[in-house]
Amino acid sequence: MSTESALQTATQLTAAWAKATTTPEANRVDISVAPSDLHSAVAALHGAHWGYLAAITGLDSPTTNEIELLYHFCQDAAVFTLRVSVPRDDAAVPTICDVMPSASLFEREVMEMFGAKIIGTPDTARLVLPDDWEEGVYPLRKDFVPTPDAQATKV
Amino acid sequence: MSMESIWQAALAEIKTWARANSPWAVHFNSGSCNGCDIEILATLTPRYDLERFGIKMQGSPRHADILICTGPVTRQARERLRRIYEQMPAPKYVIAVGSCAISGGAFYDCYNVEGGIDRVIPVDVYVPGCPPRPEAIIDGMVKLLQQIQEGKRAEGDVSPQLQEAQTP
Amino acid sequence: MHTHAEVEKFVVPIGPQHPALKEPGHFEFTVDGEMVTHASVRLGYVHRGIEKATEQRTWVQDLYLLERICGICSHTHATAFVLGVEKLAGIPAPPRAQAIRVLVAEMERIHSHLLWLGVAAHEAGFDTLFMYTWRDRETIMDLLEGLTGNRVNYSANVLGGVKFDVDAEQADSIRRGLDFLQERTEHYLEVIRRDEMFLRRTRGIGVMTQAEADEFGVVGPTARASGVARDIRIQAPYAAYDAYPVNLVVEHAGDLEARFIVRVRELLESYRLIRAILDALPEGELSKKLPRRIKSGETISRVEAPRGELFYFIQSGGGDKPTRVKVRTPTLCNLASVLTLVIGHQLADVPMILVGVDPCFSCNDRAVVLKSERDEKVWAWEQLRQYGIDFYRKGKA
Repeated sequence: MSTESALQTATQLTAAWAKATTTPEANRVDISVAPSDLHSAVAALHGAHWGYLAAITGLDSPTTNEIELLYHFCQDAAVFTLRVSVPRDDAAVPTICDVMPSASLFEREVMEMFGAKIIGTPDTARLVLPDDWEEGVYPLRKDFVPTPDAQATKV
Repeated sequence: MSMESIWQAALAEIKTWARANSPWAVHFNSGSCNGCDIEILATLTPRYDLERFGIKMQGSPRHADILICTGPVTRQARERLRRIYEQMPAPKYVIAVGSCAISGGAFYDCYNVEGGIDRVIPVDVYVPGCPPRPEAIIDGMVKLLQQIQEGKRAEGDVSPQLQEAQTP
Repeated sequence: MHTHAEVEKFVVPIGPQHPALKEPGHFEFTVDGEMVTHASVRLGYVHRGIEKATEQRTWVQDLYLLERICGICSHTHATAFVLGVEKLAGIPAPPRAQAIRVLVAEMERIHSHLLWLGVAAHEAGFDTLFMYTWRDRETIMDLLEGLTGNRVNYSANVLGGVKFDVDAEQADSIRRGLDFLQERTEHYLEVIRRDEMFLRRTRGIGVMTQAEADEFGVVGPTARASGVARDIRIQAPYAAYDAYPVNLVVEHAGDLEARFIVRVRELLESYRLIRAILDALPEGELSKKLPRRIKSGETISRVEAPRGELFYFIQSGGGDKPTRVKVRTPTLCNLASVLTLVIGHQLADVPMILVGVDPCFSCNDRAVVLKSERDEKVWAWEQLRQYGIDFYRKGKA
């Protein structure tokens, strides 16, 4: 299947929930979905065996006060991304682990780095931040300014 | 000179000879990219063969004379590093391998990074490089052994950075 | 037989480890007698806050930072980054530079696979193989040093191209080095296929079916050992891989033996590929100049690291620093599979199953913890590894 037709297939599979569609690069299609439709869109791709979940990227947008989560699915050279925007102070999205258990590690990372709330995710333990990291401090948010030893206590 | 002090002096000489001639080393990675660790590992392999200097790498700090440490010390690794150092019996020596171990290297201003091993434990030898070649690592170890042999190593020398870090 | 009340978990802390096991990390295994019933992972010991740091550094500074995410696949990280930035800027690197990038990438794959083979052999208690592979690996280290100036962290890439050229003399020494390595690698292939001790620890162990590999989202040689034809160099060729196509190396047994065979066969494929590049290096300049500020946009860059697909998402706001660099390393994908794979296996097989996915901890982070309900038994990773070796030596398998 060529990249173009692969992307067309993915677009069709998720057309019901796509609020907006863009083509940022020749091999990529991004669609925006509402948090409540994320699960259905993922299930549609998974059910049709379209690609695999390559990564979940988090983006912080202080100007719009939103956190955006990008779910990247890859089939050969084609990359199809589901983009979900949620407000920063209530960044709740449903888990996709029931459909794709391998998403657990990705979801854990985005929870601790951005403060996203992934509802129903099976494992909520920290993935990479240390045990004594302060609650409520999300390093990849733009308002977190790292200084040397910012969070490291003295010996 | 009394018999006792002669006997003590002889014993001290034997101890020094033994420490310098067959030290046991333990390796710890405090958060490094592995570059230094694979070069340390390479020193054990046939081309470099660290063991011909009598240095034996083994797994437990309780049997170690030397701690070979890499990494910029992430917050999570810091306590483990300190515990390993405390588990080592005296006299003990620390070799910091790589730029990260010396000052944090490329990660010096990252959150979660302490920025150098001597902010946590005393360091005796610094081997710079990113990563240092196996020859440089061996050179650092041999220099340490020479100093031990010459009795120049007073234990528990605390670096200025560590002193500063320890002041409340 | 164990009753419910006798379920034990063992605690294995991070701590001093044999240098062969490069990094600290944190797995938790629940064991019922010999059998693993549950596994989970906690990373964090190598977390340095790199993604955040990229936002405070310029594009050029970030290149040097990202190269140091991992000492073993440093060039792969750098390549993924520069390819992405060049896409954003709309200025691709010239063909000779792309070819040299691929050349160094394949040489890196060779060093990485030989390194892994030695470490994996060590895990199995096969120290002779560890010493041989690392001795042979010095050949490729010398070649890399001769070409790039460093044994590790080669820093071959610049934004817009590469830093150095390959001349005829270097090409010849590379060819001669590869001839030596080819002979040695064919020998290793025989060893892993025939050595009885080795086979007892790898054949039929850690089996992952094709469907499971797909489900778990595994990548790289781990996926290819289960028949999943996933190789970014082939599916989505980047740099010069369209000019020098790669032959897919895939096995179907899905067990540890298959994972060994895939990587050794990939070594042979890399030797062939490097020879093909050296025989047909395109002429031309080595780099193009990129502006200090990179055009606004988002790009995704995927490359095939020795361990599998490396995924970069790069966002520019039009300035001299990126606004976001997201790095998803192959080991993160493969770790999830390990957690599921070990269930139903013996404790003695855990070290080999873990090493079979070629985990790169600085790319990720890792540790092993086994918890005991009745009491806390503390094991070092070295003990777990030795446990596996003794288990098989005493014929308890």
